[in-house]
Amino acid sequence: MKKSPLAFKIVGLLFGAGFGFVLAAANLHEYDTIHKMLRLEEIDVFLLMGGAIGVSLPLLWWLESRKTTTALAGTLVLSRSKPQRHHVVGGALFGIGWAVSGTCPAPALVMLVSGAGLASITIVGLFLGLNLRDAQVRRSVGTTTAGDGEHRSVANAR
Amino acid sequence: MPLVVGALLQFFAMSSTTFAALLPDRLPWYIAGPALGLLVVGFFVMANQPLGATGAYVETYKTVTRKADAVSWRMFYFLGIPIGGFIGVALKEDGFVRRSGYDALRNELSLGTTAIIVLIGAVVMGYGARMAGGCTSGHGICGTAQRSPASWVATCTFMAAAVVTTLFIRIVSGGAI
Repeated sequence: MKKSPLAFKIVGLLFGAGFGFVLAAANLHEYDTIHKMLRLEEIDVFLLMGGAIGVSLPLLWWLESRKTTTALAGTLVLSRSKPQRHHVVGGALFGIGWAVSGTCPAPALVMLVSGAGLASITIVGLFLGLNLRDAQVRRSVGTTTAGDGEHRSVANAR
Repeated sequence: MPLVVGALLQFFAMSSTTFAALLPDRLPWYIAGPALGLLVVGFFVMANQPLGATGAYVETYKTVTRKADAVSWRMFYFLGIPIGGFIGVALKEDGFVRRSGYDALRNELSLGTTAIIVLIGAVVMGYGARMAGGCTSGHGICGTAQRSPASWVATCTFMAAAVVTTLFIRIVSGGAI
């Protein structure tokens, strides 16, 4: 295991905390919020996601066009992959699991600290599922790669 | 030290706790959405990384189990999420409510059955997230914001699958869940 620079750890901790704070403030850690969204009884979460994309997409586009230098990891690089079968199959499985467990990976952590004991089962299940897929890919291909939505390796970010 | 432990035990023994009702019960989408968008941009500007959770789970597991290719700072990001969530919940009027969670399921099913269903759902969700290369935050917000065609396809797929699955559960449960 390689040790990450302290600055990366601090930035990671702060942005993780900011993310968790917004999730809690918007009640996204509550099963009922997600359940009502997926039953199409409330559109607030769809609007929230739209609002987040509406702000970040044009800003990132502009920053990318200016070849912005990031504070800790060189020039800003955005990932754009072509859709493949695993995006569709994986997305479908994720959607089914999301509907059944009523929370997704980040909100599950907030759900637990808000006092909901069953969220611990969700988190254990997530670790199991993620590692099951990782182990399967490592056996067949030998290594795993990050998708466009996952943290990836950049020069000095280990 | 015993005082700290005592205070913690007392805190967790309470069924509902708040520190200060500074936040509304639910921050409106038109504030929370743009705030999340700015966090996404901020994380790219600082660390050149998407604000997704799936990779953080994977790398946290690798870091804890001391795998050679672990990226240790991601564990700090992973830990930050519940810390920030803890602060957010503490600033609400309702605060912490000790409960099982999953009200709609618990109203119809026993605790054990709910736990098994939630576990199976979470395993499928984790497997699918790793296969797709991202989750709701990773593909659904950060990938789409990067204008990644793969993320737009994955997001549309998981949204559709989740809505259809919820509809299926609703029909099977006679509208109860």
